[in-house]
Amino acid sequence: MRQLRILLRVVIETMIGIRQSGWSNWLVVSILAIALTIFGGILQVTMTLKNVVSAWGSQLEISAYLKDTSDPKKVAKEVSQFPEVGLVEIVPKEVSWQEMQHSFKVAALSNPLPNTLHIRLTSAENVEKLAPKLNLIPGIENVRYPLKVARKITEFRHFIEIAGIAVTAALSAATLTVIGNTIHLVIQARHREIEILSLMGVSHFYIKGPLILQGAMYGAGSAALAIAVLSLVHLYIDPYVRDQLVSFAPLLPQSLEYGMFNTFMALLGLGIAVGAGGSAWTSGRYIKI
Amino acid sequence: MIRLQNVCKDYAGRPALSNVNLHVALGEFAFLVGPSGAGKSTLMRLLYREETPTRGNVLVGGVNLTKLQPGQVPQLRRRLGIIFQDYRLLPRQTVFDNVAYILRALGLDEKQVNKRVNSALCVVNLDNKGDAYPDEMSGGEQQRVGIARAIVNGPPVLLADEPTGNLDPATSLEIVQLLERISQRGTTVLISTHDQPIVNAMRKRVISLRAGEIVSDVDSGVYDDGIYEVETKG
Repeated sequence: MRQLRILLRVVIETMIGIRQSGWSNWLVVSILAIALTIFGGILQVTMTLKNVVSAWGSQLEISAYLKDTSDPKKVAKEVSQFPEVGLVEIVPKEVSWQEMQHSFKVAALSNPLPNTLHIRLTSAENVEKLAPKLNLIPGIENVRYPLKVARKITEFRHFIEIAGIAVTAALSAATLTVIGNTIHLVIQARHREIEILSLMGVSHFYIKGPLILQGAMYGAGSAALAIAVLSLVHLYIDPYVRDQLVSFAPLLPQSLEYGMFNTFMALLGLGIAVGAGGSAWTSGRYIKI
Repeated sequence: MIRLQNVCKDYAGRPALSNVNLHVALGEFAFLVGPSGAGKSTLMRLLYREETPTRGNVLVGGVNLTKLQPGQVPQLRRRLGIIFQDYRLLPRQTVFDNVAYILRALGLDEKQVNKRVNSALCVVNLDNKGDAYPDEMSGGEQQRVGIARAIVNGPPVLLADEPTGNLDPATSLEIVQLLERISQRGTTVLISTHDQPIVNAMRKRVISLRAGEIVSDVDSGVYDDGIYEVETKG
């Protein structure tokens, strides 16, 4: 019960601190909200791009041409055991021959084409892992795959991932700096008060707790603002972008967009973590008790 | 209650205290006197662990402060009442809230807080000033708020660092007499001061510091430019 009362007092002290900070609260929340909005927008774009690139990757096919002596179903079953394989489709040589005859004027020969397996991958980067394994299967004569495209897709995906991490790190650092400076100002303004509390024997938790909570509240408030802005963008701009994407790449599956809920949770989590973390770091650095 | 053993304190190689040995018993009332720069404030700061000695041991209530971890310092300070020359009140809080602050920080319920704060304000004769703010009060009243804040948690030791430094002689005497009354209830009171008339009026134990050394320690003494008479402590 006593611990609960102390926690309640810490919350009250936080509110008093926020009230005393006056206009600077709005300044901090605005700056952080801008940083978090940029972060949220970039997160949304990079994650959606990542999904698009992954979808491209999963559209890639390896063609495995079978020996005349092998049983296509048996080989297909063997191939589907590999974890890199998403889907295996058997294309009988008769079907291939019919398609060829339909497309080209072919002399009346006996069917020279082999039975084929069309193998879809779980991810583009699995092409180079899977192809050598397929070559070792005795029933497979030859394997063909779009290596260059797979490599480009993999490289692009890695670039997006690294860019996402770099932007997150840069914005987190900027946010930490803003929070840290604000809490530093609060500490300077309350320097004498903090000194008095320390001499009265008030615990470190009770002195630093409200400052850390204040930082966390800045983070949460800024995240809420950023979420509001991104929601509006999602509502009014996203449909247009989606239409453009569909006309650009009509074969891509629907629902590639990274969920807004995930972005909002990431913003809230990052805002609170960076707010509280920045305050804790600044309190530890500038409050010598 | 307070014990210093061979305590030395240097600042950048310059000694502020040299080989100080001191014992103040439970319930005792003592003055720590000396001119500016004698080491009074340094000694007081060692007692509330604002500083640590360069050498020697500082014990308060049996606890060796030199071995205290930083996280244990608040616990120590809750067992001390500290009174300052400049009162150090929270300006944006009422008298009641100033005195109640530490009790609330310790998680006491409001019923207990009210009881203890009112009792402390009664002791310092400010029971009708709970709603006032520090800047609405005279220096003497502010110092009495400081004393109420120092005693509200019932500490066994009161340390007063130049408590009369900003007060007129009559108010100074009132404050010191108030501290004496608190001491009579069993609290150890150590007052650092260079207020000669007050020390001489009280006729209590006088510990004299000069250039960082205890040069005299006298029961029922006077502060007379280093001349101390009457019963010398054994």
